[in-house]
Amino acid sequence: MRISNKEKAYNMMFIAPALILFMVFNLYPILRTIQLSFFEWNGIDRHMTFVGFQQYIDILFYNPIFWRSMLNAGYITLLSLTLQNGLALMLALLVNRQIRGDNIYRVIFFLPPVLSGIVVGLIWRFVYDGNHGILNHVLVYTFGLEQFRDFAWLSEIRTALSAVTVVHMWRGFGYGFIILLAGLQTIPQDLYEAAEVDGADAWQQFKYITAPLLIPVFTLVSILTVLGSMQIFDLIYSMTRGGPAGHTHVPITRIYEYMSNGEFGYATAMAILFGIVLLVVSAAQIYVSKKLNR
Amino acid sequence: MNVHLIKKRILDSVTHVILITVALTCVFPVFWMLSSSLKTQDEVFTSMRLLPQSWRFSNYLEAFVQADFGVYFLNSLFYTVVGVFFIVFITSLAAYGFARLEFWGRNALFYILISTLLIPIPGVFIPLYLLLKNLGLLDTRTGLLLCYIAGGLAFGIFLLKSFFDNLPKEIEEAALIDGCSRFGLYWRIALPLARPALATLVIMNSLTIWNEFLLALVVLQDRTKMPIQRGLMVFQGTFITDYPMLMAGLTIATIPVVVIYLFMQKHIIKGIAAGALKG
Amino acid sequence: MFKKLLVVALFACLLPMVAGCGRPRVRGDITVWHWMTDRQAAFDALTQKYYEKTGLRVVFEVFAPEDVYRSRIQAAASGRLLPDIFSPQGDRRELAAFINAGFIANLTEYMNDGWKDMLFERALQPMTFEEDNQWGAPAGIYGVPLDVNSLMLYFNKDLFRRAGLDPYNPPQTWTEFIEAGRALRAAGIQPFVSGFGEGWLINAFATSYKWNLFGREGVLGLIDGTIPYTDPRYVRVLQLFEEMRNHRILASGIVTMVNKDAERVFATERAAMAFNGSWGINVYNSMNPNLNFSVMPLPRLEEGRYPMLKFGGEGSSLFVNEQSPKRDESIAFLRWLTEPEQQAFLARETLNIPSNKEVAEDLPPLLKIFSEHMAYAIEPLPRVEAWQVVNFININLQSIIIGERTPEVAAREIQAEKNRQAARAARRG
Repeated sequence: MRISNKEKAYNMMFIAPALILFMVFNLYPILRTIQLSFFEWNGIDRHMTFVGFQQYIDILFYNPIFWRSMLNAGYITLLSLTLQNGLALMLALLVNRQIRGDNIYRVIFFLPPVLSGIVVGLIWRFVYDGNHGILNHVLVYTFGLEQFRDFAWLSEIRTALSAVTVVHMWRGFGYGFIILLAGLQTIPQDLYEAAEVDGADAWQQFKYITAPLLIPVFTLVSILTVLGSMQIFDLIYSMTRGGPAGHTHVPITRIYEYMSNGEFGYATAMAILFGIVLLVVSAAQIYVSKKLNR
Repeated sequence: MNVHLIKKRILDSVTHVILITVALTCVFPVFWMLSSSLKTQDEVFTSMRLLPQSWRFSNYLEAFVQADFGVYFLNSLFYTVVGVFFIVFITSLAAYGFARLEFWGRNALFYILISTLLIPIPGVFIPLYLLLKNLGLLDTRTGLLLCYIAGGLAFGIFLLKSFFDNLPKEIEEAALIDGCSRFGLYWRIALPLARPALATLVIMNSLTIWNEFLLALVVLQDRTKMPIQRGLMVFQGTFITDYPMLMAGLTIATIPVVVIYLFMQKHIIKGIAAGALKG
Repeated sequence: MFKKLLVVALFACLLPMVAGCGRPRVRGDITVWHWMTDRQAAFDALTQKYYEKTGLRVVFEVFAPEDVYRSRIQAAASGRLLPDIFSPQGDRRELAAFINAGFIANLTEYMNDGWKDMLFERALQPMTFEEDNQWGAPAGIYGVPLDVNSLMLYFNKDLFRRAGLDPYNPPQTWTEFIEAGRALRAAGIQPFVSGFGEGWLINAFATSYKWNLFGREGVLGLIDGTIPYTDPRYVRVLQLFEEMRNHRILASGIVTMVNKDAERVFATERAAMAFNGSWGINVYNSMNPNLNFSVMPLPRLEEGRYPMLKFGGEGSSLFVNEQSPKRDESIAFLRWLTEPEQQAFLARETLNIPSNKEVAEDLPPLLKIFSEHMAYAIEPLPRVEAWQVVNFININLQSIIIGERTPEVAAREIQAEKNRQAARAARRG
């Protein structure tokens, strides 16, 4: 079916409002960011020094600390992709079975994202506290593990990053949970009814109906998880400030560090490079999911 | 009792154990917040007891008055409801366009839009501030709202497009033959079918806008236009944080989002009923 | 659902009318943007008094927390819409950037007219620029300090007693400090806490000892690169942290602890000593009114050949917008704010150490100790170390505490970073 130019123009009306807002409020800041990344600028001075790709070269070849922070974010992202999304999927499937009290669970599982970051930071610092922390209390008095009496989870190289990741996943699974739940709802119920008539058990129903139909939504959730985890910031800042000794620094905390030390141009160059990395990762994800979908 | 039933019983119990464990970790912080909001400042720290010694419900009234929540609360409600409405309307329209319609540069435009999710813009408030200044929208509700709406575009379009992609095309094609316009298809068929996704979008954007404060505090000058997060600032002194007041304030500030969630999550579940697709 | 949403949205559009009919905004003659939420009431009282006296309406508008305030200032600076009075809230380099961009008024002539004699010299130094300074700011005094503070060592008298230590004779030297710490640890008490998760605090601790061992010329030598960070004296500074680790002086989790948490640990008697600023007095009292504590200077090193100085100076200060149409009125107002009567009022209401020396005489005992030690505060230097190197030092101090690096290795790493930054500066020309 050929579509006339007039129709194409009419179709443009659908995206026009979004496009106009986007051009003004999103594209302009981004273009400005790209422009700034070629300048040395402290954020205040009227004067900016054009330095070309020099800041990019410096980040690429002389800033190993930035790339190490990328690895930390990668670790957080990998754990979130598997554990957090696994948990979200499992809980969504469980609640979707319409077991008793599913209403209550649905509400409760979304409490962590609703809670203020102030409360989340405070509570989890209490949990991980080395001296009389809640976690150590449980380990020592319930399980008799004396070695944890003075164990500061957020200050040990071995555990700091994982400890922060746990909080991040705890805070984030609710989002995946409701998107997946919404995705499960778009699968027509009669498919299951037909399968039941054919004698398919729960696993077979999952494998042949739920899983294939959920792939697009699951891809969406995965991409959002990658973006959310790679760009993690608030939680790190409130829990460890990148410590101990820089072992929980992530790209955004580094970018923020440069920005607040008057290296605005350099920080934007970091952001652009970071964006390119995310672009590659997301493109790979979309590619893989398209392969799976076929 | 047959084997099948026993198996189901065991499966159900395991399910519940998992669900309850996760649920407990989610409820505890809320419990702590509520309990701390009823304590006195020194009790929050010196007594490790979970329940307050005397229940100071007056903290809530005091917090409400001290933080001047009366004004801020209505502002936040305004920003959230109007902002979310426009986000949902504009993004669903665009997402439908990207998912179903043909026009020039469709894919390129879509990927450019989505790529804004990828690049973190350090100090994005500065270009936005300059933009609003040039548009004469500094210190206006409209200016702040426009920023909020624009901020929700990429995510909303991305989310809704994947849902529209997933919807079966047959119904729409049938309706098209019946003489329904493109807009009619979107409004009468696609939107109702995407209800779970729309509800999800409402929830997420409400959360974002309700909790936003950096941009509001940067572009607004007039106190009477500021959102609820501005009120919470009062309890976080430069050096001393008044924890019971802060927790009371946070509780007050959290209730509306919980209410929004309660209303919206029903739509997630009530998605497409079995019969919807048969017609 | 969508139609319901539409109705709700339409109704919401009416809300601003309801919200808008609150108190109308007071338009002032002079606008001040500040971040000190807890002083708003005191400022309001003072502006009322000023209005009655002069007929000028000064409005204090608060934007907090501090990073939000900084963002607002930065945005307003880029849009050239700064208020009459504000503060860039950054270090000297950032202040110089504001000065060079023409945003901050030079107050030298006003200060020389008897104003600066009322104020603590140390408080004025951070906003004073000498000729030919590193940042190219024109020489002069640019800011008005409202209060001062410095960092000292708090100790819990009850816990000292419990460990068999004399609370009236706290440790004065490093060796005594370590001994006291061991005694406390033996009594099952965490000896020392501080917000070492925040770079500036761990840096402040190390900086005092750096001055103790190097003196002013030596510290400048480190900055200029004429003395390497591998110098035995600097290694000694790093070893202090290793010693504290080895003798288990430090509270559990100190390397990622923010100061608010450290304050809580000390206030709840879970640590006997705390390195903190003068504001700590109020914080501790608010969290635990029964806390029985006092303050002492950081214990000096026996081998230190130079005075043991304290990290301190101006606490909060305000600056006048050079381009403000009310520039002179704003300066006059700030001058009035630092006069003894207003300073005494602020000190009483907000429990900070006033920047006005005359008022400082009549303070509560603990605050008075802080105020007296202002004379031993470290002076700001004409040149500073590259911030990357400073950050790297802080990271290495944490690294030593968690036993990841030895002081010797850390010293080499710091020097390597110093060389890296020098190379980067050279590449940039």
